[in-house]
Amino acid sequence: MDFALSNEQRDWQMTARKFADEEIRPISLARDAIPTARETFDWEIVKKGSKLGFRTLAVPKEYGGHGTDFVTQALVMAELARADSAMSKTFSQNWKWSHLISHACSDEQKARFLKPFVADDTFLLGKGISEPGAGSDNRLPPEDDPKSGLKLRAERKGDDWILNGEKCFIANAPVGKLFFIDARTDPSAPLRQGTTMFLVPRDTPGFRIGKVFNKSGWRFYQNGEMIFENARVPQANVVGQVNGAVRKAGGGGEDTTGGDIFGDLELCANALGICDDACQVAMRHARTVKQGGRYLFEQQIVQLHINKMYMLTEALRSFVLRVAWEHDKKIRSCNAGLAMNFSTDVVQQVTELYMDVRGVEGCSMDHHADKLARDAIIWSHLAGDSVQRMKVARRLS
Amino acid sequence: MYNLRLSPEQLEIRDTVREFVTREVKPVLLKADRLDVADRRLPMHLLEEASRLGLRTLALSEDNGGIGADALTSCIVAEELAAGDADIAAVLTETSRLAHLIFDRALPQAERDRLLPKFLADDGAHLAFADREADTDTRLGVNYHRPDVTAPSLAATAVQAGNGDWVITATKTGVANAPVARAFAVTVKIAGRAGEGVLLVAADAPGVIVAPHAKAWPHGTSGDVTFADCRVPAGNLLADGSAALLRDAGGHGVPLAQAINLGIGRAAYEAAIGYAKLRVQGGRPIAEHQAIGTKLANIAIKLEVARATIWQAAWACDHPEAYADRSLTDLPLQTIAQVFTREAMLEAAKDAAEVFGAMGVMRDMPMQKYVHDARVCLHGSDSNRDARLRIAEALLGYRRPALAAAAE
Repeated sequence: MDFALSNEQRDWQMTARKFADEEIRPISLARDAIPTARETFDWEIVKKGSKLGFRTLAVPKEYGGHGTDFVTQALVMAELARADSAMSKTFSQNWKWSHLISHACSDEQKARFLKPFVADDTFLLGKGISEPGAGSDNRLPPEDDPKSGLKLRAERKGDDWILNGEKCFIANAPVGKLFFIDARTDPSAPLRQGTTMFLVPRDTPGFRIGKVFNKSGWRFYQNGEMIFENARVPQANVVGQVNGAVRKAGGGGEDTTGGDIFGDLELCANALGICDDACQVAMRHARTVKQGGRYLFEQQIVQLHINKMYMLTEALRSFVLRVAWEHDKKIRSCNAGLAMNFSTDVVQQVTELYMDVRGVEGCSMDHHADKLARDAIIWSHLAGDSVQRMKVARRLS
Repeated sequence: MYNLRLSPEQLEIRDTVREFVTREVKPVLLKADRLDVADRRLPMHLLEEASRLGLRTLALSEDNGGIGADALTSCIVAEELAAGDADIAAVLTETSRLAHLIFDRALPQAERDRLLPKFLADDGAHLAFADREADTDTRLGVNYHRPDVTAPSLAATAVQAGNGDWVITATKTGVANAPVARAFAVTVKIAGRAGEGVLLVAADAPGVIVAPHAKAWPHGTSGDVTFADCRVPAGNLLADGSAALLRDAGGHGVPLAQAINLGIGRAAYEAAIGYAKLRVQGGRPIAEHQAIGTKLANIAIKLEVARATIWQAAWACDHPEAYADRSLTDLPLQTIAQVFTREAMLEAAKDAAEVFGAMGVMRDMPMQKYVHDARVCLHGSDSNRDARLRIAEALLGYRRPALAAAAE
C-alpha cells in the first residue's frame, strides 16, 4: 500500500488550495448571505476557476481537458469545498457530466459539445432527472409499480423529438448551457426500459427555466425548474440508444460499480472539505478564545469534541481517497456509495460539534458555523436519505 | 400522587390555544414570505390576539387579573404556541413568567396597585428581564467542580437620590423581549448593600435606550438596553432575593424553553406525517414504507420521551413537597429535560425534513425553519456542555458558593 500522492496530484491539490484560500474563501460568506437565490451566483469566480482548469478537470486530454485521475478530482473537490462547499460543487458538477459525455456520447456528439464546453469559461453543464412527482422513484424504481418515475415525455416527429413536461430541483439549471435530460420515450415500459437521454442546449426552442429554488444551504449553487413545452430536440442529440437503460456519469462501457461512480465520490469528497474547514476553525477557536480567563481548549469536553471531529474527518479522508483510488484502478466495489452515505453522517456530526464548540456568542451565532451546518443538511436528501442507503445495500446483495 | 391526568381546565386551555394556532397563527406564519429564518419579523397583531386569550398573563394569579396557570399548564401552552411559531411562544412565555414573578411575588403592594392596571389593559405590553452584561457568560466550563473565584460582579449600579428615587446606570445585553417591553426588571449592585437588587423600570422612563438586535439567534426578539442616569421611584425596588428568582437558575425552574423546543419538534413531526401520508413513491404513500415509517416512529418516540421529562419537571415545580418526601429525585429536572429535549428535537426535525426530500431545505417551505429553530434551542444561552456539568455537580452533591459571596 502506498498513500503518497504523485507530483501531479500534489500540484493540483496545491493549486486548488491556493485558489480556495485566495479567491473562494474571501467571497464565501457574502455570497451565502444574499437573500435572493438567483443573485448568490458569481460568474467571476467561475471564470477565474475555469482559467485554472477547475471547470474542465475531468475532460480527457484529447478533448482539451486536463484528464486528471479520480484521486486528483477528489483532492481538488475537497480543497475547494474547504473554502465553500457550494462553489466546489458548481465546478465539480461539470466534471460529473463531462464524464458522462466522454463515456456515453458518440464521437460526433463529443466533437459538437465537448469542444465548445472546453473553450468557453462560462459553459456549465447540468442534468435533469427529478420531477415534481418523481424523486425516489427514479433512484429506486419500485418493481410493483412499473409506471412510476419520471413523466417528461419525448415523442418522435420526423428527425426531431418533441419534449413536454417539467423537471425540478435541477442543479445548474439557471446557469447551464447544456443539459442531459432523461425523458420517457416508451410510457408503457418501466423506467429503465422506457427512458432515453437527450442532450438539450439551453437555447432549445420550447425549453425554458422556471423558478430558481431558494435553499437554506449550498446557497451559491444554483438550482431550478425546467419547463419543456413542445421543445424540439434533434435525433442527433439522443445519447446512446432510444429506450436505452439510464446511463450514469463516469460509468459508460467501463462502469466498475453498476452505479453513479463519480457522483458518489463527489459528495463524499466535498463533505471532506467541509469537515476539514470545521476542524481547522474549531481548533483555532478553542486555542485563541478564552472563557473565564482560560483557553477553551483547556476544557476536557472541548478536547473530546475536537478529537471526535478530527477522528471522523480522518476516517472520511481515508474512505474518500480509497474510493478514488479504486475508481482509478477500475476495482469493482460498492464503496463509493457507502462512502457517500457515511459522509452524510460525518459532515452533519462534525459541523454540529463545531457549532457546539463555538456556542452562541451573546445573541448571535457565528455566520460561518451556521453556514457549515446548513450546507451539511443538504447531504440529508442527496447522499444519506434512506433510498440512497437502500440502493447501496441492494448493490451489495 | 404523581398524576399526569390533565384537569378539565388544562384540557380546555390546550384546545383553545391549539385552535388559535391552527386558525390564526399558522395561516400567517406558514406563508412562504415568513419562513425565511434570516428575515423574521414579529407578528404584533397575533401577539395582541394571544393576549386577548389571556396568554400574555397566563401565569399571573387570578387575584392580579391573570389566568393563574400553574407550571404544567404554562408548559402545555408553550408547546402549543411553539407548534405554531417559536418566536410568538418565546415572547409570550417570557412576559407571562415575569408577570407572575414580579406582580405576584416581588413587587411591593403599593407599586403593584399603581403599575398592574396599565400592564393588564395594554395587550401589547410585554416585560423583559435586563440582567446579562457583556463578558459574563457562564464560566462553568472552566470552573467545573471548583468555585468561580474570578466571576465578575454586575457593573450595573443604583444609587439612592435625596428624595429616595433610585438612579440607575447600566448597560445590559441580549435582553429577551427588549424591543417590545413596556417595563424592565433590571439587576443592579446597590452601593452599601450586599448582593444584587432588582429595580422595575418603565421602558419610557428618561434614560432608557433600547437597541434591538437585527438578526438575533435566540427566538422571540431581543436587544441591548442602556439605562443612563435613569430615575425610578423608591418603591420600584423588588423584594430581596428577586435576582435569583427571576434568573430561575439552579435547574429546578419551569421548563418553558424546553416546552417551546418540544413544540418545534412537534410541528416538524406533524408536517412530516401529513406529507408522508400524501406523497406517493414506490407505488404507495411513503409512510407505508418501512424506512419512512421507522423514521416517523423515531420522531414520535423522541417527542413522547421529551414531553414526559418536561411534564415531570413542570409537575415538580407545582409540587415542591414531592422533593421533601423523596417522591422525586433531587436532581435538576429542568436541566435534565433541557439536555435531552434539545438534542432529541434537532434529530427529530432533521429526520422530519428528510421525509420531504429536497423540499426539506427550501427557504419558502417550513421544514428548514424547524431545523433552524431546533438548532437555535440546542445552541442556546446555556450550552448543553455546561448543562451536563451542572448535572454532574448535582450528582456529586457539589454546592457552588453563591456567585455574590465569591465576588464580595
